[in-house]
Amino acid sequence: MGNWLYEFLLPKLEYLPYALLIGVCVFLIVSLIYALIRNRNGKPVRKATREALWGYFFILPWVVGICIFFLSGVANSLLYSFYNLKLDNVLRLEPLTGQDALGNTVYTPLANYISVFNKELNYPVTLANFAVSLILQLPIIIAFSLIIALMLNGKIKGRGVFRTIFFLPVIIATGPVMSQLTAQGVSSVPMVSQNTIASILTDFPEFISQPIMDLFSQLILILWNSGIQILIFLAGLQKVPNTLYEAAKIDGASGWETFWKITLPTLRSMILLNSIYTVVTLATNSTNPIIDLIYNATYAVTKGYSYGAAMTWLYTVVVAVLLLITFLLIREKKEKKSNDVWRRDVESAKRAGQNKKLNKLLGRRKAA
Amino acid sequence: MAVGGTKVNPKKFHKNQIPLYLYLIPIAIFMGAPIIYIINHAFKPMDELFAFPPRFFVSHPSLVNFRNLFQTTAGASIPISRYIFNSLVVTLAVVFLSILISTMAGFALSKMDFKLKGPVFEVNNIALMFVATAVTIPRYLTINTLGILDTYLAHILPLIAMPVCLFLIKQFIDGVPNSLIEAAQLEGAGSFTIYRKIILPLTKPAIATGAILAFQSVWTNVETSNLFTSSEGIRTLPFYMNTLTSVGTVQGQGMAAAAALIMFIPNLLLFIIMQSSVMNTMAYSGIK
Repeated sequence: MGNWLYEFLLPKLEYLPYALLIGVCVFLIVSLIYALIRNRNGKPVRKATREALWGYFFILPWVVGICIFFLSGVANSLLYSFYNLKLDNVLRLEPLTGQDALGNTVYTPLANYISVFNKELNYPVTLANFAVSLILQLPIIIAFSLIIALMLNGKIKGRGVFRTIFFLPVIIATGPVMSQLTAQGVSSVPMVSQNTIASILTDFPEFISQPIMDLFSQLILILWNSGIQILIFLAGLQKVPNTLYEAAKIDGASGWETFWKITLPTLRSMILLNSIYTVVTLATNSTNPIIDLIYNATYAVTKGYSYGAAMTWLYTVVVAVLLLITFLLIREKKEKKSNDVWRRDVESAKRAGQNKKLNKLLGRRKAA
Repeated sequence: MAVGGTKVNPKKFHKNQIPLYLYLIPIAIFMGAPIIYIINHAFKPMDELFAFPPRFFVSHPSLVNFRNLFQTTAGASIPISRYIFNSLVVTLAVVFLSILISTMAGFALSKMDFKLKGPVFEVNNIALMFVATAVTIPRYLTINTLGILDTYLAHILPLIAMPVCLFLIKQFIDGVPNSLIEAAQLEGAGSFTIYRKIILPLTKPAIATGAILAFQSVWTNVETSNLFTSSEGIRTLPFYMNTLTSVGTVQGQGMAAAAALIMFIPNLLLFIIMQSSVMNTMAYSGIK
């Protein structure tokens, strides 16, 4: 298997991003030529073709940028993770080899990945801790930013000042100031984290208690990270039409009911957007311990770039799974078929005499 | 139009608002802490910077850190204005181009129908969650191949396609009602007119958020100067600030604090300018 990988599959990996780029270009040119030929023959260009043409045109600059500067890097890092990369004067890729039970030399393309688990004892633990703390932090950030956004959406005095204050930590979060602040312990709630919580948590196993302790020690840091989320929620809140609130008021709905029945459903897409944004920023944040591990491994003499690339890919898979879970939990469910559609289906089934279909439709309604 | 959208609450101060303030003000103080800290830290004289336990507020403000900073820069072979100019050119170019590209791509991905639409958005989602450290070496090789090492392009081009920007803007454009676009098409508007007259004005909040994100990531970026340039005259301000403050001297700490404040001020100004124009656009936009 190793031979086949090294000879056939891996060298092709480098060209993958360019395949996308070429694909977009080819589709653009084909639709352009098609449109020109139709135009020449005096036939009007079809709307779908015209739309596709504009679509490719609008998307081309982004595709060029992402393919050349980002995807090629991503594809290459996947490629290098199966090799041993040497950067002396020129770049050199050495296939990874090992010995089988009989002492023959065999190719072992997955050696980097395996040694991440065998040698890097910190890595699986850090990864698991990260996943647990992410699951804990996400609801807190979303709830906090939603509450703040709801409060700031009202017409209170000094709204602009408050908005600025809540957003500002985002701006300086990347700066050296943040590390100074964390080092001096400004970002934790000292009383809480040391006494009450700690005494309760001793009863739990460590893999649960540790992330919760971290959560409290970073509570303020977490709140500082929610500026963009507040901004997105605010923009979403202003899209909720006022007439809905007025109608609810007339019907005698309380503020609490209005929030659950009107505000929250309208904000659903914003909650999804914010959740994904939060997961992504938490995962790629430079203060993340895993990023630290990867960075150190990449520039360490004994490990090197290939090793770091293998770690990165394992990490990316974990983040992707977490994102997928978030997405599946929060996405909008498909609307149930409305009564009218159902009735029309039943009528047409009756007319056509399709008993099987009719029974199915009626049965579905009974079940619901 | 939802013009009255925010007029539910009374215009003047009302006693109903007091509980709201009771929540908001303490949280705001928490959130504002780092800002107050940076400003105070920059004006601390040497003995207060190293005081133990560290103090939050400055008790004897002085300008000594700033004086040190500017004295050091005055002796350098390349004036600080050169770094500032480089930073401005790079930042403005990246912010403008990345927003242009992201809005165009977001419009196409959200409102147009064509083959390859799915794969392109999937690619963006992969790009979103990939760790940036892992692409530095391949990116260096690409830039080397293109022959743009040591130019402004080496600063600008790698940062233009920002997956986060595209993602935010695309999600916002999803919220623009299709009926608005269909109405414009009936009136005979082409795709470019729709982009310019409908999409751009209606997604202002997302554009502003994206612009702030892009600005922040470029303005504080040391990596491109570090990796893709070798001559001093083409490097940017954050890189210069880093070299000054990473010397490890005692003075370096104070200069770091002063430099942090200087780097922070443009961010603050940008946000204050943006925020008023951003917040209220949705209410008047015709989106329901």
